[in-house]
Amino acid sequence: MQIDLEKTHSELRCFFEPKGVAVIGASSHPEKIGYQVLKNLREGGVFSLPHLKGFTGKIFPINPKAEHILGLKCYPRITDISERVDLAIICLPARLVPQVMQDCAMKKVKGVSIISAGFGEADSKGRKLQEEFLGIAKKAGIRILGPNCLGILYPPQHLNASFAPFLPFSGKVAFISQSGALLDSVIDWSVKDNYGFSAMISYGNKSDLDAPDFIAWAAKDPYTKVITLYVEGFSDGRYFLEMAKKVTPIKPIVALKAGRTATGSRAVGSHTGSLAGSYQIYKGVFKQSGVIMADTLTQMFDMARALAYQPLAKGNRLAIVTNGGGSGVMCADYCEELAIELPALPRQLIEKLDKSGKMHPAWSRGNPLDLVGDAGPERYEVALEAVMGSEVYDGAIVIQAVQTSTQPLRNAGILVEVQKKYKKPIIGAFMGGVISEASIKYLEEHGIPNYDDVDRAARAMWVLMEHRRHYRRRSI
Amino acid sequence: MNREDILNEIEQFKKEGRKFLSESISGKLLASYGIPIPPACVAKNVEKAVKCAQELGFPVVLKVISPQIIHKSDAGGVITNIDKKEKVREAFHRIVENARKYNPKAKVEGIYVQKMVPPGREVIIGVVKDKQFGPVVMFGLGGILVEVFKDVVFRVAPIDREEAREMIDEIKGLAILQGVRGEKPVDFNSLSKAIANTSRLAIDFPQIGQLDINPVCLYPEKIYALDARIILE
Repeated sequence: MQIDLEKTHSELRCFFEPKGVAVIGASSHPEKIGYQVLKNLREGGVFSLPHLKGFTGKIFPINPKAEHILGLKCYPRITDISERVDLAIICLPARLVPQVMQDCAMKKVKGVSIISAGFGEADSKGRKLQEEFLGIAKKAGIRILGPNCLGILYPPQHLNASFAPFLPFSGKVAFISQSGALLDSVIDWSVKDNYGFSAMISYGNKSDLDAPDFIAWAAKDPYTKVITLYVEGFSDGRYFLEMAKKVTPIKPIVALKAGRTATGSRAVGSHTGSLAGSYQIYKGVFKQSGVIMADTLTQMFDMARALAYQPLAKGNRLAIVTNGGGSGVMCADYCEELAIELPALPRQLIEKLDKSGKMHPAWSRGNPLDLVGDAGPERYEVALEAVMGSEVYDGAIVIQAVQTSTQPLRNAGILVEVQKKYKKPIIGAFMGGVISEASIKYLEEHGIPNYDDVDRAARAMWVLMEHRRHYRRRSI
Repeated sequence: MNREDILNEIEQFKKEGRKFLSESISGKLLASYGIPIPPACVAKNVEKAVKCAQELGFPVVLKVISPQIIHKSDAGGVITNIDKKEKVREAFHRIVENARKYNPKAKVEGIYVQKMVPPGREVIIGVVKDKQFGPVVMFGLGGILVEVFKDVVFRVAPIDREEAREMIDEIKGLAILQGVRGEKPVDFNSLSKAIANTSRLAIDFPQIGQLDINPVCLYPEKIYALDARIILE
């Protein structure tokens, strides 16, 4: 199988950085998709939020009956536009799509995104329409997104070429989703949680472009550091496998496979047949290609955040620094389940900390390194310096409970400084709400992912170790 | 057995409307992929069975060969631990009778006489065709445990020996293969090779729909595929 990342990336660029976008079926009625897509392009969202900006490239509404929509001049047909148009977004009933595709071919459009439903997923008539427009597109060299999809969002360029409610913050994680509605809810959540995306892609019925194509694009996208994927099934499993094998050495892929209980409809004549559920097979495929499998959405985005902002761990030896005994023990439990090692504190390190004059007489002298509840920033600093500077540890999880002596913001500053100095990964587990909020924001703005529970922090650290193991297995 | 012969056999089976390959052909197919099977021969009558057993050396196992019987044990078609001549005769007749009782239409084409190997740690190697990924290879703890623990892992075929080794390392019951309480570890090299070769076999013969090698018996210095079920597509 020939996989050419460069070629796929340049072919798909028209969907992310188009010179000119036409909305075919643009409408002046706010309840219509044809209006919402146009508004999204123009303003970044149908809802207004302070971070939103519109797309700065040319936008052309296509509607033979209107003069202007949202202050933009309308054109009767795409072929009436004299300027260049790279991307056309179709919001028309299915039966009109083949004709419009003809126009797009004439206009030499590079990519067409079909929002409309009612094709291959519907009935035989729909399937026929799909074959028809695909034939036209293929002949003209047009790539197709959808049909029956939400579209594409590219926050770095303020491009919301979709009917998703608004653009998320710009970040380093690309999200490729087989479900459109899921993408919608992720967007709304992400803004509240300060989580940024480099791109969001809903690819719908995958009549032409499927998830592996977008993985190839994301692999070469300068803003994307980590690729996340929600998948129910691929059109061509082997294409995904080859693509993932090629991409995971360049950028991590974290994936969530839905449909865990479906065992497929195989005639069962062998043990192997009866055991080969689709989830089991995907698990194998992901392992085989170095894709990290997540069980839940939270897990997927937790791991992606760690991979996007922290370096990989050189080994799997962790230090836990905490100002609370309980959360330290819980964290150690989760680490053990994930086969993360917690080496004991070396004697010289204990002596050094004892001599520092900063530690409480009852500090744990072990790992988890319990600073005791009245720990101030100096204690965090001297302890974190000690473990991060030691050859024995490959990274640290720092837990903070808000107690009377705690200074969250200063602690956050220490984490950022020490991480910069030693270049090993640090994961924050500043647990809490109102009081810790500012410190958590500081951590995340400075590239230290923080999780409000230690099991999430442990898994985030695990992925930094696991992905490094994948690199080593593939001798990268 | 070379590729040509195997393809001819498969064609023959298909022509006769059969769904799965006979044990002797399956055995030869595995052997041609470097997957060792215990020495065996096919006996069409009692005296040939006795002669076979003597040549192979006791103890032996007798198994029914019938295109109508896929689950041989369920049909009373397998008798183990046969340690002398008279018992071969007795087992031969009993299997024929059991097969008739199990399915009056079952045509018994012969009896498979196989050298009995000592008990070892049992695993399963399998192949199934997935709609999205094509042939995939499975590995896991075998014997009867496979149905209880379902401790199995999959890979898309073909895979190399290193990837096969990763599969082995992934099962939860790995410690059993490494050996507990002073037991020696099994022959991981031969096992990895067998998994990788099975995955290759699945690619070379797209006519195969499903394949079970269960159990594969593992010993510290060697492995044996004791039973193979190859279902045609």
